[in-house]
Amino acid sequence: MLGQQLLNGITLGATYALIALGYTMVYGIIQLINFAHGEIYMVGAFVGVLMVTVFQQGLAASLVAAMLTCMVIGVSIERIAYRPLRRSTRLAPLISAIGVSIFLQTLMTKLKGPQPVGFPHVIEDAIYKFASIEISKVQIIILVLSSLLMAGLHFIVKYVKIGKAMRAASEDYDTAALMGINVNRVISFTFAIGSALAAAGGVLVGIYFNSVSPLMGVTVGLKAFCAAVLGGIGSIPGAMLGGLFLGVAETLGVAGGFDLYKDAIAFTLLIVVLLFRPTGLLGRPIQRKV
Amino acid sequence: MKKNKLWKVMSLMLVLSFLLVGCGGEEKKTTEGDKGSSNGESIKIGFLGAKNGNHAAFGIPTLEGMKMAAEDINKAGGLLGKKIEIIEEDHGSKNTEGANVTQKLITRDKVVAIVGDPTTAITKIAAPIAQEKKVVLLSAGAVGTGVVENGDYIFRDTLLDAVAAPAVTKYVKENLGWKKVAVITSMNNDYSVGLSKLFRAALVDNGIEIVAEQSIQDGDQNFSAQVTAIKEKNPDGIVFTGYYTEGGLFMKEVRKQGMKTVMVGGDGLLGDVLMKMGGEAVEGSMIYCGFAADENKAGEKTKKFIEAYKTGNNGTLPDMFAAQGYDAVMLIADAIKAANSDVPEKFRAELAKTKDWTGVSGIITFQENREPIKSPVYLLEVKGGKFTVKETVEIK
Repeated sequence: MLGQQLLNGITLGATYALIALGYTMVYGIIQLINFAHGEIYMVGAFVGVLMVTVFQQGLAASLVAAMLTCMVIGVSIERIAYRPLRRSTRLAPLISAIGVSIFLQTLMTKLKGPQPVGFPHVIEDAIYKFASIEISKVQIIILVLSSLLMAGLHFIVKYVKIGKAMRAASEDYDTAALMGINVNRVISFTFAIGSALAAAGGVLVGIYFNSVSPLMGVTVGLKAFCAAVLGGIGSIPGAMLGGLFLGVAETLGVAGGFDLYKDAIAFTLLIVVLLFRPTGLLGRPIQRKV
Repeated sequence: MKKNKLWKVMSLMLVLSFLLVGCGGEEKKTTEGDKGSSNGESIKIGFLGAKNGNHAAFGIPTLEGMKMAAEDINKAGGLLGKKIEIIEEDHGSKNTEGANVTQKLITRDKVVAIVGDPTTAITKIAAPIAQEKKVVLLSAGAVGTGVVENGDYIFRDTLLDAVAAPAVTKYVKENLGWKKVAVITSMNNDYSVGLSKLFRAALVDNGIEIVAEQSIQDGDQNFSAQVTAIKEKNPDGIVFTGYYTEGGLFMKEVRKQGMKTVMVGGDGLLGDVLMKMGGEAVEGSMIYCGFAADENKAGEKTKKFIEAYKTGNNGTLPDMFAAQGYDAVMLIADAIKAANSDVPEKFRAELAKTKDWTGVSGIITFQENREPIKSPVYLLEVKGGKFTVKETVEIK
């Protein structure tokens, strides 16, 4: 039973991690909390539903379509709502982000109605048994796909040129620009990757929970943000760890009968961790410049 | 200086409050004589409900049922030599308008009785007004608590969860052999919390063991932890007291984890969304409600009502609200006939005496507290993506 619940938690945590990566990467480079990120995840889920119902596509095609669409949306949001405000106070782009998030929520409510929409059946309900733990096909797909996506991200950031540029920009934005890195391109790329991962998370969650709604991004966005801070905002492995940690904690909390406090668990954890490790689990210690 | 100012303000407020109280008292006096008792050509019954807004789906069929009842009575020669007239108002699903409409029906239209509101919330707003003006109010849809407690002029003719939950529990024990169940409650939904309480008591009374209790919340999408927890206990059935959206999603998770169990629940699950969210997973789910149009199992009176409703409404089957709206008017008419008077003070007592009264939505008896006992309970089953009548459970 504990093993089974751990598996439920890890599956949920993997989707949190996918979304948390977007928060952490954007924050790492431009120190902006992109509060519209949860809504990108929501739009991704709806694109997935659209692909399956209207275009009769399978999982792979809907996943790719959702990721591509959200890449475009993510990059456009950055261009329209954040870039013009980059040199203004820290608060301005934050407010702008909240505005974008409300805009996307209401737009989707207008288009699709406020009721949740069922996600059509794309994966059969097969169950595999390992010892006393049962794992469903959907869970395997979520775990495998999110691991692959995260491994891909790791590869890009570590070994590809644009990834190196991302790291350089997150180290010191101005110096990186002086060294000839096209910072605007790096930022656009960051938004594109982050949004694509969120979209993948949206489609996977849609399949896992069978339901997609215009407001689904709100709590999940907040929790993924929590996961990012918990792991140490700006740190990519931290976001993955934070996501998994949160998913497991939440599931065990519900299993232990604390369903009413389900959403509070994430935030309590966040407070506790930040009290003892202000930079998060894997965050870099703050260096003071002399 | 400061103290002085405070005193001034306080005395001013005191004077003002006296004035307001005075006004209130006077208003009461002027409306005292306005309570309904019709001397005109017709006996007026008011419709309190929504023709627009969120609750229109409850209001419109209620009104349709009421109109059919009035027509039937008038065709048969009327009541005490007068015709029945239904006064329609529309509160547009707004609570504040509900109070206004009630006032208007009583003081301006001088109705002798009001049928409505189909929702508990607005009935609770209207009930004190009707009670104060001594006009009979009969709700044809309010199922929540705190309705008839408003006074002896307040009635309702709908199936109460307090009656249905024990009957359904007995049914699943005797006919389906359930011995252990899991109870699922949506903690941020009053209806669900209340219904779970009723089910728990009924389960204990019937010797069915509650092997697992899990809570969810309206708006949740992830039920994997709860389902894993109940799966371990291997229950014969699931008692789900929430609404259809979560019900459908919950059952989907149940099937995903390989459980074959079906669920049983109240009319909170009665909606097409259940099948939309649950798909094949909700096949076999059982839902109870106060009325379902089923021509095969209906009595003579009900059959006639279903036919008449269908011809008047392009072939749509009547729902619970239409049937209960029809019965509400008939109940009031019978009470007026028995009292030989359309003065609410007089026929109210007759209405309260209603016992084993056969209507189109079932057999109704008013208990001492004017709460109805209704028989039968319709137990519906999802079959082929549709609600079908599985059983009609008699209540004694």
